Amino acid sequence: MAHIEMHGVTKRFDSGQEALKEVDVSFEAASMCFLTGHSGAGKSTFLKLLLRLDTPTRGRILVNGINVADLKKSRLPFYRRNIGAVFQDHHLLSGRSVFDNVAVPLRVIGMREKDVGRRVRAALTRVGLLEKERLLPTHLSTGEQQRVGIARAVVNRPKILLADEPTGNLDPELSRDIMSIFEQFNQIGTTVIVASHDRELITSMGKRIIELSGGRVVKDLPGRSGMVVEEPFSEPGVEVG
Amino acid sequence: MAILRRSDPFDKEGRGGVTGWMRDHHRVVREALYHVSARIITSLIVWLLVGIALALPAGLYLLQLNLADVGADWDGRPGLSVYFKVDAEAGAMPALAERLRAEAYVQEVEETSPVAALEAFNAHTGLSDALDLLENNPLPASLRAMLINGATVPDLERLAAIAESAPGVQEVVVEKTWLERVSDITTVVSRLSVVLALLFGIGALLVTATSVRLAIEARLEELKVQTLVGATERQLRRPFLYFGAIYGAGGALVALMLISMTLLVVETPLARLAGSYGASLEFAGFDPVFLLSMLATGSALGVVGALLAARQRLHELEVL
Repeated sequence: MAHIEMHGVTKRFDSGQEALKEVDVSFEAASMCFLTGHSGAGKSTFLKLLLRLDTPTRGRILVNGINVADLKKSRLPFYRRNIGAVFQDHHLLSGRSVFDNVAVPLRVIGMREKDVGRRVRAALTRVGLLEKERLLPTHLSTGEQQRVGIARAVVNRPKILLADEPTGNLDPELSRDIMSIFEQFNQIGTTVIVASHDRELITSMGKRIIELSGGRVVKDLPGRSGMVVEEPFSEPGVEVG
Repeated sequence: MAILRRSDPFDKEGRGGVTGWMRDHHRVVREALYHVSARIITSLIVWLLVGIALALPAGLYLLQLNLADVGADWDGRPGLSVYFKVDAEAGAMPALAERLRAEAYVQEVEETSPVAALEAFNAHTGLSDALDLLENNPLPASLRAMLINGATVPDLERLAAIAESAPGVQEVVVEKTWLERVSDITTVVSRLSVVLALLFGIGALLVTATSVRLAIEARLEELKVQTLVGATERQLRRPFLYFGAIYGAGGALVALMLISMTLLVVETPLARLAGSYGASLEFAGFDPVFLLSMLATGSALGVVGALLAARQRLHELEVL
């Protein structure tokens, strides 16, 4: 499980624009939280800093007590292996099958192909795409592509799951289904942070909501306590994280 | 703290250390071979370019290797002629002849006394009546030393120095034309092959680097995703190093084929040319060691080119 703290985090780009200003916020291990705010509020920058795709201009980002901004380049891959990331535009490999897309994180860590197959199929089963494992992503609908992206993000059982507008192009029903998947992963100890501007959807989830505006935290609303749901990877014979 | 503990990437359950590493290499090799065969026209062009770049310096190396042996085989072997002063002591010539015969690289020494020289002159020119008018024989004693096969220009020069320092010697004429020419040609070819090896080696390097760079561009999205999910820089580079090795080794094979074809084309006229100088043509150097060296050199150049391209491009990689 991962406990995250941000202390006085400011991100200023070379252009002089400040995407985040003195952000102080923390996330309990195994918590779930929504980041909301208008376009340009700093949600994506917030997630990029957590993924360590960028470093803060000032301040500290502590994950389990260690400042990730200080991590050496050689250690970054090992840090990122603990984070699953979902993006609005999926970042799927168009020339690879659904199966191969989901298998990328497992092959990166050198998992045996037999185990890769089991893990990938379990993840695809969970997002309802097992029968489409051989198809190319271009043959899938936008919603299905997003679910492939989610399967890839969770297949390695990350300790942190970050999602940037994961329901941006989806209808309300599909959006709720995807949020439900995130919630299930949160229930087994994954710290989940979802950036979304869909206020109706995130309010209905009853989770903590942090609102950003102009790079500052303007609201921090606590959520209702959750309840245990079924194990996301419930397929027999598949190791659970 | 487990999330940030630096650990072996394959240390989790079901992922053996060395086995996992080998598994990754195995997978990458298969992917690299698939990539190369799926773009066979591009790959053939790269192989041809690398092959041409490697063939010229390698061919020159072989030529230089063989030229070095040619001097030894040539029938017009080098030697030197020593002319004595007309008033030299009678024993000067036999003494020097004996001294020269003692040298290991001297095959034969011919002595010509003033009387024998005059007789030969008369026989060749028919001017005996004119010479009869002279009070003394004007022709000096002389000797000619011929060297053994394999003697070198320095051997010849050493011999000339001995002759020049001997008493009664008027002049030493060194006949080293062919050996000198071959030696000079060998030196030129040798230096040329080094320069060309450098230039064309850089050319081969750039060809593979550019090809690998294109391969990286074609797989940019995949590299970004792999970075996001925690691939190390080595893992990102690995497929491209294999591309480089495959391009380099393929180029070396093409170079070997080009050299073989060239040898086939020039073999007959070369044999005729060598025969006219009494030498036999046995082209040396195109052996298994040379073949393996070429493959190793080609692969190494390919890997270095790929490494340069991958380091530069991956350094500039922006994930999102």
